[in-house]
Amino acid sequence: MGFFVTSLIFLVVGIIACLFTRICCNRGPSTNIFHLTLVITATICCWMMWAIVYLAQMKPLIVPILNEGE
Amino acid sequence: MGEVASGGGCCPPMDLFRSEPMQLVQLIIPIESAHRTVSYLGDLGLLQFKDLNAEKSPFQRTYATQIKRCGEMARKLRFFKEQMLKAGVSPKNSLGHVDLNIDDLDVKLTDIEVELTEMNANGEKLQRTYNELVEYKLVLQKAGEFFQSAQSRAIEQQREYESHQLSGESMETPLLQDQELLGDSGKPVKLGFLAGLVPREKSQAFERILFRATRGNVFLRQAVVEDPVIDPVSGEKTEKNVFVVFYAGEKAKAKILKICDAFGADRYPFAEELGKQAQMIKEVSGRLSELKTTIDAGSLHRGSLLQTIGAQFEQWNLLVRKEKSVYHTLNMLSLDVTKKCLVAEGWSPIFATKQIQDALERAAIDSNSQVGTIFQVLQTREMPPTYFRTNKVTSSFQGIIDSYGVAKYQEANPTVYTIVTFPFLFAVMFGDWGHGICLLLAALYFIIREKKLSSQKLDDITEMTFGGRYVIMLMALFSIYTGLIYNEFFSVPFELFGPSAYACHDLSCSDATTSGLVKVRHTYPFGVDPVWHGTRSELPFLNSLKMKMSILLGVAQMNLGIIMSYCNALFFRNNVNVWFQFIPQMIFLNALFGYLSLLIIVKWCTGSQADLYHIMIYMFLSPADDLGENQLFVGQKYLQMTLLLLALVAVPWMLLPKPFILKIQHQARHGDESYTALQTTEESLQVESNHDSHGHEEFEFSEVFVHQLIHTIEFVLGAVSNTASYLRLWALSLAHSELSSVFYEKVLVLAWGYNNVIILIVGIVVFVFATVGVLLVMETLSAFLHALRLHWVEFQNKFYEGDGYKFHPFSFALLDEEEE
Repeated sequence: MGFFVTSLIFLVVGIIACLFTRICCNRGPSTNIFHLTLVITATICCWMMWAIVYLAQMKPLIVPILNEGE
Repeated sequence: MGEVASGGGCCPPMDLFRSEPMQLVQLIIPIESAHRTVSYLGDLGLLQFKDLNAEKSPFQRTYATQIKRCGEMARKLRFFKEQMLKAGVSPKNSLGHVDLNIDDLDVKLTDIEVELTEMNANGEKLQRTYNELVEYKLVLQKAGEFFQSAQSRAIEQQREYESHQLSGESMETPLLQDQELLGDSGKPVKLGFLAGLVPREKSQAFERILFRATRGNVFLRQAVVEDPVIDPVSGEKTEKNVFVVFYAGEKAKAKILKICDAFGADRYPFAEELGKQAQMIKEVSGRLSELKTTIDAGSLHRGSLLQTIGAQFEQWNLLVRKEKSVYHTLNMLSLDVTKKCLVAEGWSPIFATKQIQDALERAAIDSNSQVGTIFQVLQTREMPPTYFRTNKVTSSFQGIIDSYGVAKYQEANPTVYTIVTFPFLFAVMFGDWGHGICLLLAALYFIIREKKLSSQKLDDITEMTFGGRYVIMLMALFSIYTGLIYNEFFSVPFELFGPSAYACHDLSCSDATTSGLVKVRHTYPFGVDPVWHGTRSELPFLNSLKMKMSILLGVAQMNLGIIMSYCNALFFRNNVNVWFQFIPQMIFLNALFGYLSLLIIVKWCTGSQADLYHIMIYMFLSPADDLGENQLFVGQKYLQMTLLLLALVAVPWMLLPKPFILKIQHQARHGDESYTALQTTEESLQVESNHDSHGHEEFEFSEVFVHQLIHTIEFVLGAVSNTASYLRLWALSLAHSELSSVFYEKVLVLAWGYNNVIILIVGIVVFVFATVGVLLVMETLSAFLHALRLHWVEFQNKFYEGDGYKFHPFSFALLDEEEE
């Protein structure tokens, strides 16, 4: 699972969530845009967090060095 | 305000993003239907009345007497409540609506008050008599005992003496004794006595003072009353002694009476003869039982009266409060010169126009008024109040923003993004899915019991937690997510998403503790690789990761803030702000910190060993130098020089043009106005009110320039300090994970190592308390506060003015909150 595949999963999940809120909580156009904004913001936040951690581990400069005791 | 309302067009309208469009409306209400109209509007709750009599004191206003009457009724209700509280009757929450006229209610309340006070007075009187009789009975019994014992002793003595005499005079009998005795009995002294009750703690002093005042010519007997008696005067339970005091002479009596008064000793008449005593005891007992039944009947009656009050108390209270608020509102209206109608002005959301007109119509019909209320929209330059329609989820987030400052009318509302970014940034600092689950359970508890808890009165801290239950729920959900990313469950990592990417270099694993493991598989797919936990290089790795993450998240959020300022500029059609504020700000921030973010990502992707500090510092110190081994990509030097140049240009770009353009605009407007004032007065006034939001007529160039200077300096310095401020995400998250790993390793693992059940239980208890107290309560609070700061300062200072005022409609539904 590379960076792009997982990003695609995030995208798909985001789109599904958008559709879900559109279908389940359809309360007029302005409210729908509001819900859409919330879902998109949340998806971007989650994706950013994951992407940062993933990228940081891709080409490690530091490797895990086990403790003496273990 | 029609123009502002329809202004913008950058994006379709979104809930909560901008205040509801408001209008200033004028109502001309016929005086006979005024009360009903206002009360219908109170039921609707979508109109904020303006005080048109601000210069008048409360007593000069039209409806001062009615308000006074309502105040009087409220006082009566408070008196009833007090009485009910004393009697232990609780007002029932009856929801049924009672059609009650306020005048009828006034009469009823007065009647009940009179009845109740009379009952109280009678009851008190009866109780007092009863208590007195109880005391009297005690005196009769106890003092009667003295007399009996004294008499029997005296008879004994007499008999002894007589037998002594009868036995004949022996030689030894002193002659004087006879005479003394004879002398005594021959000259009988009339001894008076008083009987009564004295409080026990005063009895010692009482005795001493009596003795001194009469120079010892007094004889006092006291007997302890075992059970405390109710003092008739104070009505309190006190421990008392029965006393009988014998004295000689009227003078001594007067003194004793005075002393008794001073000591609060109650005296009761007392007969000397035993027969009479018995009779009196009988009499007193009879009266006591009689009184008892009277008192019981009285209190029963009073109880039933209070019960009936309690059944309707809430309705009455509500009615009185509504009435009072209606008259308060009526007082804000100005009386027409003809004194036939009242003129009201107020703010209402435009969407409510229809509802308000309906309410006015209904009121006119219901009060049989010949003319209806006139409803008209006024044009004004005044700033309307800000009104967001929130629900139970969004209201707490809106509250977070409002406590910083209420949004200016129709400016972009940060709440839309805060609903997600606030819990998210909280979770970055609170990343542990074990703790997240605990928090989620707490939030769910409040949400499930929502109905029950919202009707209850809670203490301050619970109330606050309850109010923020949806905030806490979102915070918990994001913490579970970030906890999975950080791979921490009470600081324990799990291999949830496949095996670790690292393994030993060779089979013997000899250099795992010296040169470390090597990466043998693809990167761990989701979150931090579990292998890092407990290694020697864990902290350097996590610190570098979290520090860079803070910068990236911070730059992203600050960019969002600047984009919001662009939305505002578009909405208010303010091109100056787009070209001379938004664009240079974007350039400045991204030329420096956007570039830093880019470097971070490039470094991660390429695995380069370049020193980012070095690059950033020498980008300023010697931009023309070769980067050498720190070069990350081709052409980096030229990109850096361009960015630096852009950043340097952006500063005067932000500072200089805007004040000059505003000046030219102002001059043009004034020149314009003088020629074409007749045609476009209204429009030009509105244009002015839009551009010059402070409503200053005069244009002070120096003031505008200084303002812009401050703004520019604030932004330039802020770009640096705000980015640094986002490092708190790293610091708090580090503190959280370190604390939880200390609690886990030094308490739970240590206790487990002893192989002793008792130590293990103690260890678990300590671990649970430390986790709940420190990690779940304290850390939640601190992460909450830091997330709050990041939103209030770092995010909102990019676009949010927050100098508006809130829409406070006249609404009966909001009465409760005002009262408390």
